[in-house]
Amino acid sequence: MQVATVNLKKSTIGALRVDVEASVPSNQWVTYEIQFKDKQGKVIASGIKQAWSESGTWSEEGESGYWSEADTQGGLDVRTNQDESAALILDVLEYSDTAGKEISAPVSFNVTVRSGVVDRRYLWAGLFGTGALSLLTFIASGSGKLVLRKKVDDSDVSDRADTLGGANNLVRARINIKTDEHTPRDLWVDLVVRDGNGETLYDQSHTVNLNISKTDKGTVTGGKGQLDVYFLLEPRSSYGFQVEVHPDASVDRTALTVQEKVRTRWPVQVTPLKST
Amino acid sequence: MVGKLIAASTAAVAALTISSAYTQRSALVLRQEQQDNYWPRYGTVASGRYSSGVWVASPDRQSYGTFRGGGPGVGK
Repeated sequence: MQVATVNLKKSTIGALRVDVEASVPSNQWVTYEIQFKDKQGKVIASGIKQAWSESGTWSEEGESGYWSEADTQGGLDVRTNQDESAALILDVLEYSDTAGKEISAPVSFNVTVRSGVVDRRYLWAGLFGTGALSLLTFIASGSGKLVLRKKVDDSDVSDRADTLGGANNLVRARINIKTDEHTPRDLWVDLVVRDGNGETLYDQSHTVNLNISKTDKGTVTGGKGQLDVYFLLEPRSSYGFQVEVHPDASVDRTALTVQEKVRTRWPVQVTPLKST
Repeated sequence: MVGKLIAASTAAVAALTISSAYTQRSALVLRQEQQDNYWPRYGTVASGRYSSGVWVASPDRQSYGTFRGGGPGVGK
């Protein structure tokens, strides 16, 4: 059955797209072919689609319902290297019920032909790929260079880094706290920064809210908290960090991580410290 | 360094997918024997291939009754 005569044009962008939607009654199979024929009536390209539509009823544990599934859409994209006109033909090769018994009845199709169509499947794949890479960048961009990491099973931790800071170098002190089942809702962290001579440059107390974890029954199992403090330390030299967590009774572990050349994704509050 | 590497690959992925989409490399190219890039849509498989510029029906296709012939040596 001839559907239309199409003019195929040589083009670098897009293709001629034929979309076919077959109306397949329930529990029947239609195998149809999309063909292009040249002026001599010879097939120059063709594609086969096995379309089907099935339905039925189900019952399980006293419930029942109706299901139907169908795959009736077919499509062929063609490109050409020379301008030509071709006849678009739709041919039903086989029409049967689910038992394989042949049906001789007309099948109706809904055919759409468009030219210069772009294959969007690539764009979706690209979106997915670049999205994954953006996520990776998002994770990677926050990290800096590790200068100090110390973990103790206690509430107090202190350590010193020998070369740290300098101009245009954002330093982040990150304190991670883990508490046991007697955890309070929040804790105080006293952070002290000293220069190479042991002189105190910074001494401040911060409140840290804890994330309390519970069992399904609502019993508290512990808590976790994190504090980030940003500094600009000048000159580049040795600096010591001292952390004390209060109240210390429920503190299982305290970790101090200092990183320099840190980049943040959002504006942060920075304390500039100068050692004389 | 990692950021630059990721940025370069992101640009490459974007360029590749956009060019693939717009050039329609997945389409069936008329009168071309190599159809390696053909990517069927909606499970519509090509029912033949080109041999010396002539479309020859695939064995699967020939099994259907209404096949009307074609291919090299036909219609002379």
